[in-house]
Amino acid sequence: MDPTYLHFWAKQNAYILNVIYPISIGFCIILIGLAGLFVYTFRQQHYRLWRLGKEEDCSDRIPERLKTFLNVVFGHARFWREGYPGTMHFLIFWGTLFVFLGKGIRLFSPLTGLTVPPQGVYLIASCISEIGGVVILLGAVMAVVRRFVFKPSRLDSKPDDHLKYLWGFVILLTGYMVKGYRLVLAGGSLPPDSFSWAPISSILSQFTLILPSEPLNELLVWHRVLIHAIPAVAFFGYIVVSRSSLEHIYLSALNVFYRSLKPKGAVRPIPNFEEAETYGVTEIQEFTWKQLLDLEACTRCGRCQDSCPAHLSEKPLNPKKVIQDLRAHLLTKGGAIIPTNYQPASEPSPLPSPLVGKVISEDTLWSCTACLSCYEQCPVFISGFDKIIDMRRSSVLMESRFPVELKEVFRGLERRSNPWGGDKSQRADWVKELGVRTLAENPEVEWLYFPGCFKGFDDRNKKVAVAVVKILQRMEISFGVLGPEEGCCGDPARRMGNEYLYSMLVEKNLETFERYKIKKILTTCPHCYNTLKNEYPQFGGKFEVIHETEFLKTLLDQKKMTLHNGSSLTVTYHDSCYLGRYNQIYEPQRHILKAIPGVTLKEMERSRERSFCCGGGGGRMWMEEHQGKRINEMRIDQALALEPNVIATACPYCLTMLEDGLKARNKDDAVKVYDIAELVEKSMDDQPKTR
Amino acid sequence: MRAIAIVIEVLILMGVTYCLFLAARLTILDLGFQSKYDRFVRWALGIVGAVISAFFIAHLTLFYPKLLP
Repeated sequence: MDPTYLHFWAKQNAYILNVIYPISIGFCIILIGLAGLFVYTFRQQHYRLWRLGKEEDCSDRIPERLKTFLNVVFGHARFWREGYPGTMHFLIFWGTLFVFLGKGIRLFSPLTGLTVPPQGVYLIASCISEIGGVVILLGAVMAVVRRFVFKPSRLDSKPDDHLKYLWGFVILLTGYMVKGYRLVLAGGSLPPDSFSWAPISSILSQFTLILPSEPLNELLVWHRVLIHAIPAVAFFGYIVVSRSSLEHIYLSALNVFYRSLKPKGAVRPIPNFEEAETYGVTEIQEFTWKQLLDLEACTRCGRCQDSCPAHLSEKPLNPKKVIQDLRAHLLTKGGAIIPTNYQPASEPSPLPSPLVGKVISEDTLWSCTACLSCYEQCPVFISGFDKIIDMRRSSVLMESRFPVELKEVFRGLERRSNPWGGDKSQRADWVKELGVRTLAENPEVEWLYFPGCFKGFDDRNKKVAVAVVKILQRMEISFGVLGPEEGCCGDPARRMGNEYLYSMLVEKNLETFERYKIKKILTTCPHCYNTLKNEYPQFGGKFEVIHETEFLKTLLDQKKMTLHNGSSLTVTYHDSCYLGRYNQIYEPQRHILKAIPGVTLKEMERSRERSFCCGGGGGRMWMEEHQGKRINEMRIDQALALEPNVIATACPYCLTMLEDGLKARNKDDAVKVYDIAELVEKSMDDQPKTR
Repeated sequence: MRAIAIVIEVLILMGVTYCLFLAARLTILDLGFQSKYDRFVRWALGIVGAVISAFFIAHLTLFYPKLLP
């Protein structure tokens, strides 16, 4: 072997052993101390706060949780939706892991006798941490440029934000300098392969000045080591003790692991509703422990606010701010109500402080369209939506405070089972002329067609129901309707916080379903679909629920239905939140549209998971938009940018809101909004029966 | 060259000091230290930081290795 090589590594070994043994032992002691500090502060600062919250079982389906955890935390599955921040975080995350891996091996291998230089493992470990450092720096430069040069509006910078970048840079630089200094002291000339094992440090070593004597140089090595080690250890201490956003390293990971595995669109029922003394969330400790963890796991990345239709239309709601305001309140108030040795847990809260009106304004609370966009975009599954629903419940059920427009809606739902207060007997007038029989007339049918309130009382949407019925009749599907016995599914009541009314409507419908032994339900309204499919099981409902688009796609796939007619049309499809984000139904609609002859489908920039709400969900359909821009008009502008002939949708709420938007833009003559079922029915007009 | 090296070293040391002091300030505020004392904490840490920086400059000017011929 080359004598220069051996000489170099012999000197390196001597230096490494001189320096690393005491450092390794010291680091082990510090590590134990830091671990103890972590356990203590975790319990004091986080765990005790979460314990204030109500119970929520998040310990089921562990393999599935682990899979998501690995996918999201290590694979960054939800980060890549935005290329730049996704890449940035990926580089910092994996660079840090590389540094820790390399550093760990090098720190502990001499102690354990596993390996010493120039053995391969040690050299590879050295190289891994050098590369890791470069990867971190790349990611950090991207982050700094983004935060301090591009300054996207969604990022708010606090002192901690520039501290963490500067501190990380200082630690990496001093780390490279320690190694560079060691290299220059260990050998006059570096062996040829030293560059490969320490590419950055060997470059730095070229510029390093040394003292004339060996003892002074050793003293200088120690200076360098301390200048690296002190800020590095303090950095860990800072992460553990402070309220820095770096807490997300463990809090966000925990939040990913404990995320709700229930259907995304299902609102949590109020437990023991009949016996409960309070409803919803009035004070912070009435959230569940997982909801409190949500608050702490937020890193203020702002993806939620960039996709929130309320925020983008200049309403007072900003989902990031809601979470941050609740978090600040939790930290301020939570500490005061944590039971201590002197204050038993059963004592009432010393600082009663209602959230609505004090922490979250009423305008903010009622601006939410329940589109679930905040949850969908959040990389670590934090939902603002469930907290808003809980606070709405408190407002409505405990204090009877809600926007004045909702009074008539609640009355209509309560008395006539529909939000408009229309006469129940008229609900199915439109089916009579089509020859559709109700279940009371013929209960022996395969499918219950559940058109929903819009189809029953809104003239425009009745046309959609007619189209659906014509398709079903042409396909000779065995179906019936409930007619006057049909009640609102309850979705508007639940999302407006009126759980009492919701449960009343559900029970009434379930009773009817039970009477007719309903097994299969076809809906044309995504709101009904979501509620019947995901929320009725909470009340014991057991039946198959299918949306018209899934149903039509199946007919197409099975070749039971073919589409013949069509003229040249440019169509853009608007994703309904309740089909898309709530139930991940994106493809059937596109599949059907592409099957219609002459249709050219153009996608809006905001489509699928990123689709922009029409503004009608969460009860907003019945509320005035006093503040900011109108959400439906913003969506129409996005659609009109593609110059379509037709805007297709599969939701009565969206249909209504988009048509209103077109009228506001004076485009209702040039562009039409159709439900997919209407387009299908037109396309099969002259088609003979297939069966 | 030596002067440049000293400036770089001082900058690194001041960077370390700044990080540690800012972290200390943010941490004590996080731990419940009343924000009305923040001004006092800033001044105290600022003065100590300035003294430490002066020490670094003096120390490095005296002891930093001279360029070898």
